[in-house]
Amino acid sequence: MLNKASPSVIRDSRYGPPVGKRAADLPGMVGLGVAAIFPDIPKALYVEGGDVSIIRKATESALENVKIDMIRPQHTVNILTSQYGFMIMGGYAYAEMVKTIKEVIERKTGCSNIRLRVATGFRIREPEEIIRHYKLDEFFKGKASPALFLEKGVPIETELGTMYGLAKIYDADWIIHAHHGELRELDMHRMMNRAIKPFSMSYARMETRSIHHMNFGPRSSNIIPKLIFESPFVQSKFTFGCFLQTSPQGIIGVDADNDMYAIDRRLMVLAFKSYGKIRELYNEIRECIAVMDGPGEPRYMIGGGTTFGNLTEAELDLFDLDNIPVSLGYGLYQYPPHQPKLKSVNPSIKALVMNHFWLGVPQLELASHIPTILVGMDMADLVASDSMNHKFIDYVVTAGNLETAMTFARRLANTDKVIAFDGAFGAITCSEPLAEYFIERAPVVSERVDNQLMPGWLRQRGIDPATVNV
Amino acid sequence: MVEIKFLAQVDTEKCTGCGKCANVCPTQAIQVKDKKAQVEDPQCLACPNCVDICPEEAIRKIPRVEPLVFGVDYREVDQTELVELCRKAHLHPQQWLCLCTATRVRDGAAAVLKGAKTPEEIALMTGIRSGCSAYCLMTSMRLLEAYGVELEQPKGYRWYKTTQTLWNVSEEMIKKYPGYFLEEDKDVFRPF
Repeated sequence: MLNKASPSVIRDSRYGPPVGKRAADLPGMVGLGVAAIFPDIPKALYVEGGDVSIIRKATESALENVKIDMIRPQHTVNILTSQYGFMIMGGYAYAEMVKTIKEVIERKTGCSNIRLRVATGFRIREPEEIIRHYKLDEFFKGKASPALFLEKGVPIETELGTMYGLAKIYDADWIIHAHHGELRELDMHRMMNRAIKPFSMSYARMETRSIHHMNFGPRSSNIIPKLIFESPFVQSKFTFGCFLQTSPQGIIGVDADNDMYAIDRRLMVLAFKSYGKIRELYNEIRECIAVMDGPGEPRYMIGGGTTFGNLTEAELDLFDLDNIPVSLGYGLYQYPPHQPKLKSVNPSIKALVMNHFWLGVPQLELASHIPTILVGMDMADLVASDSMNHKFIDYVVTAGNLETAMTFARRLANTDKVIAFDGAFGAITCSEPLAEYFIERAPVVSERVDNQLMPGWLRQRGIDPATVNV
Repeated sequence: MVEIKFLAQVDTEKCTGCGKCANVCPTQAIQVKDKKAQVEDPQCLACPNCVDICPEEAIRKIPRVEPLVFGVDYREVDQTELVELCRKAHLHPQQWLCLCTATRVRDGAAAVLKGAKTPEEIALMTGIRSGCSAYCLMTSMRLLEAYGVELEQPKGYRWYKTTQTLWNVSEEMIKKYPGYFLEEDKDVFRPF
């Protein structure tokens, strides 16, 4: 049940410091197997370090029943990707799925003008880093290109007026939506149109992303991707979606379909099964030190196969559509009457140790709500010059190395329960006392999700629990 | 108050004058003259856009000798007008205008009441858009529109005029999409 922890590799990036000692290497840290505490969470066919040919076979198999005959040899095709897929377990599974899509399309249609588009959040150079790291430009014969939120837009007429996609996303006859089912930011998507969210985020100009993020509420915002996706412009180019299916165990399969709402429904059920229990387990934590130790921004860093954002907001059941979060860090929402009070950051996190992370989103709410310790001067220098977090450095202290940071954090938080967000799937990297606590609480969590929560989540989305094999 | 400690600097040897930097500058601090990008010093808020978009890596951030300080004191404007403007924009005065700089809507509203007519002018008065440069653009446009400013789409793609909110959703759409909480979600924005 308790094994040696195995963190994900961290890719070099200009947005993060040099990689140093990892949290998993600290004395007393273990890898608590997800399968050992929740044997019913869907099992992985691929985990980091495994044979990616499994992903190739799964992608080929998933594409067998997808209609692609609208693509003619003389056409142009854009395969659309997002940066986060390349953060899942080192990104090799996502890269392999994308490469396989290209080869299958070429083989089956005779079309050779297939381009790759890599979209991202605010790290403008990140797509370049991705393309270089996975040698995607060579694979796409010089046709791999970033698609950035501030580049030229293209108007998309919707039921709610004109919105703007990225011209580079839509500059082909056809588009293929290559994505993943990792839960990521549940507070935003609430498993409503999760599968098409990138149409108002990754693939959209910053104004449209803002409409989604800021101008609508915590549930209603999810109509924006639907309006864009269903627009005549997008529908005139859309072919199919191809998704890495994930659970906290790892990659569990590949799903592809011309019908995005069919993928969305499958993703939804899978998300409840896969992530419901891990979220509830994190909700059981009463005190801990969280260690950021991976690529990306803290909110989206993986620990136990799910993102840190699911710990910072664990105390509210965000699958429940009757719950209205007041989080987001933007201060957008009131504390609704008769709703659980959600703090800006889960108060069970008593200290935060930032061993490795990347700049890239505003995240002052972390440092201003949790005692935060940066590890090393390289990290401190990066944070001090971060234009997206002007005041972050004013709220934190810096320790010389990871060991001293942990010593300080333990004194500060007065707990020996430590959890690391180090990119690991299949196991939760944590201290032995926290592992023992998780083992004790897992049966309670499992019962609560299966018998109380899951039926409600399904019913809210129009699904009869009796029809779903959960 | 927002302190800007850095400044964009162009390496004219490397610059090809492509103009990408000018199109992504949130304050129009960059002009291309004689096929070279030029940075207007006091207008540069040192956001990452030009440095990161430049295909030649010809722009870098250097420390300013003295930081530039930006900020609007919201208490200097008529508070009734300020609240009325925020109400029209459906923005709470105390919600974040710009999380990167920890600037609140009331400061942006005060900038509008003090005469800002464009998102760029709000940025140069408050110091916002010096970070991600994205989300605060939307809030700025909403404040300007609520004040009756007719936003004029700039040439190029510095920004696009599009500001739909929950309050622009028609009754017909609310009825058409009952599962999206289009009416109910209005209640979760802070009333004031």
